[in-house]
Amino acid sequence: MPRRSSLPVTFVVPTLVILLILSMVPTLYAIVIALQNRELSSADYSYVWFSNFYDLFSDRRFLNAVWVSVKWEIVTVAATMTVAIGLGVLMFEVASPRLRNIYCLLFIIPVLLPRVSAAFVWKFAYHPLYGIATYPYRLLTGGMIFDPLSKPATALFAVASVDVWQWGLFFAVIVLKLLETLPRQPIEAARLDHARSWQIHAYVTLPMLKAPLVSLMFVKMIESLRSFDLIYVMTRGGPGVATETLDMYAFSQGFIESGKVSYASAMAVLMMVATVITFTMLWKRVQA
Amino acid sequence: MSAIVCSHVDKSYGATSVIRDLNLSIEEHEFVVFLGPSGCGKSTLLRMLAGLEDISGGEISIGGTVVNDLDPGDRGVAMVFQNYALYPHMTIFDNIAFGLKRQNVPKAEIRQRVGAVSTTLGLDPYLDRKPAELSGGQQQRVAIARAMIKTPKVFLFDEPLSNLDAKLRNHMRVEIARLHQSLNTTTVYVTHDQLEAMTLADRIVLLRDGRIEQIGSPAEIYERPGNLFVAGFIGTPNMNFIDVTIGRDGDAWTLTNAGTVFTISGERFRLQQGERAVLGIRPPDLVAASPGASGNLLEGTADLIEFHGNDALVTFCLGGKEISALVPSRACPAIRADVRYGFDESSLHLFDAQSGMSLRRQ
Repeated sequence: MPRRSSLPVTFVVPTLVILLILSMVPTLYAIVIALQNRELSSADYSYVWFSNFYDLFSDRRFLNAVWVSVKWEIVTVAATMTVAIGLGVLMFEVASPRLRNIYCLLFIIPVLLPRVSAAFVWKFAYHPLYGIATYPYRLLTGGMIFDPLSKPATALFAVASVDVWQWGLFFAVIVLKLLETLPRQPIEAARLDHARSWQIHAYVTLPMLKAPLVSLMFVKMIESLRSFDLIYVMTRGGPGVATETLDMYAFSQGFIESGKVSYASAMAVLMMVATVITFTMLWKRVQA
Repeated sequence: MSAIVCSHVDKSYGATSVIRDLNLSIEEHEFVVFLGPSGCGKSTLLRMLAGLEDISGGEISIGGTVVNDLDPGDRGVAMVFQNYALYPHMTIFDNIAFGLKRQNVPKAEIRQRVGAVSTTLGLDPYLDRKPAELSGGQQQRVAIARAMIKTPKVFLFDEPLSNLDAKLRNHMRVEIARLHQSLNTTTVYVTHDQLEAMTLADRIVLLRDGRIEQIGSPAEIYERPGNLFVAGFIGTPNMNFIDVTIGRDGDAWTLTNAGTVFTISGERFRLQQGERAVLGIRPPDLVAASPGASGNLLEGTADLIEFHGNDALVTFCLGGKEISALVPSRACPAIRADVRYGFDESSLHLFDAQSGMSLRRQ
């Protein structure tokens, strides 16, 4: 055995300590605040322990936010993966190598946009009078107005479509590159085995890519949790509470409407716990 | 009726021509081996038969049907790939059954047919495993099972044994030969290994640069190579070549190389005085000459001796060219000893120096 050197420890420890402080201090502080009754309007506070959490479960707006968050998570992840796999396979099947490179370049551009910029671009695109996305509707109906962002039924999907526009196209590029790395022979064997194109992908290539696709899905699930900026710019949680996700509601409770920071913190803590539990369970499940 | 007919088949990738005007007909039940060096187009030709490569020109028909525009699945062929090409995420059972499932064969029939094939190939204990849990030989057997179960009109093998180690390769070669004996399905087999070609083939198609150099039974190709390339490619150790000039000496013909003169009757060959030719003689056809012998002799100093077991390969220099003789190892000379080898005229090959074509009378 070579003599153990202290050099690695010397390099690693300071970084780890900084990371630990950066991640743990705010988390612990949020938990502490969640157990108090701090408000922005006064400096007085006392410990109320779990009463914020009790209050949350009788708050219908909070329950709505949970539901919207779940909806948002499912819609964006499912749509992103569908678009990514569909477009990736389509490019793989139809496009020539040269054309593929051009598509890849085009499809990466949306995700390079800062999310706030993307949100503004699409907010204008959805404008009922001037937007390019609503233009076909105006044209077909002879000038009738359609405002997807201010209808409760469509607002969430309109915002989700921006998320999918950014991430679905980008993931399509990744799926295409994954398909290109696969060995050719099993695909050829499947062709000889009477499989049609879609069957080749359904039964051979995509199952062979299961592990990387699941990882992609996890990346998207984590990414979808951080949708605050997109929703904030496009709808601010509206119309009404139709697109008010948990982080939107926490933000408005903490800083916009009432300044109830402790109440907002309690929400954040709940969200963190729920996320950790859900992801751990899903991860275990997928690996089994 | 021929099982496979290729007429005027061309294949090119852009400006690069891979196969040029190839004509070939393969009989039913025949075992044909495409043999040739790397890049000769043999795999491309096989993949064109399978439908995995487009045909640039000409026509291929299988079982009387022109298949140029048919999908691979509709050609009635099954293929075994060099690297097995199993579906890694499926069990062995699913791998074998995949083709039948795609054809909507009833489940009970699939189970029964997979059972029959897996018993034939000794795969019964492995049906629930994944390909990665099997050895190379077993994986190749699964690939063969997957091809067999479709009861194809034609089996296509693309260098199926190249990824196996030497011992397993011999074993699988024998299995493939047995399988062909029992199934009697028309088979096209691509290899660069002449031992596989010689042992398995009814007929060998020897290819070079996208052209057929010679078609014939293994014995024909070995004993009567049609040109210099075939003569040099077939046979281990390689045939010796000596440049000679043809001359006349009374009734006999002489073949002169620098100081050495060989005298032959030349009945088997079309010879012309003054012509330049290449004399070919296989190492096993050289026999040690007794000390007093005269006549056609190759003499030199043994400068390399390779022990092969029963035999030893003796290499010596003659007129600046290396000549090898395969002799029984017990009669093997010492290194740097003077050696003299004679040969029988019947084992002689002669080729035109310019065209490389055999000078043998047809």
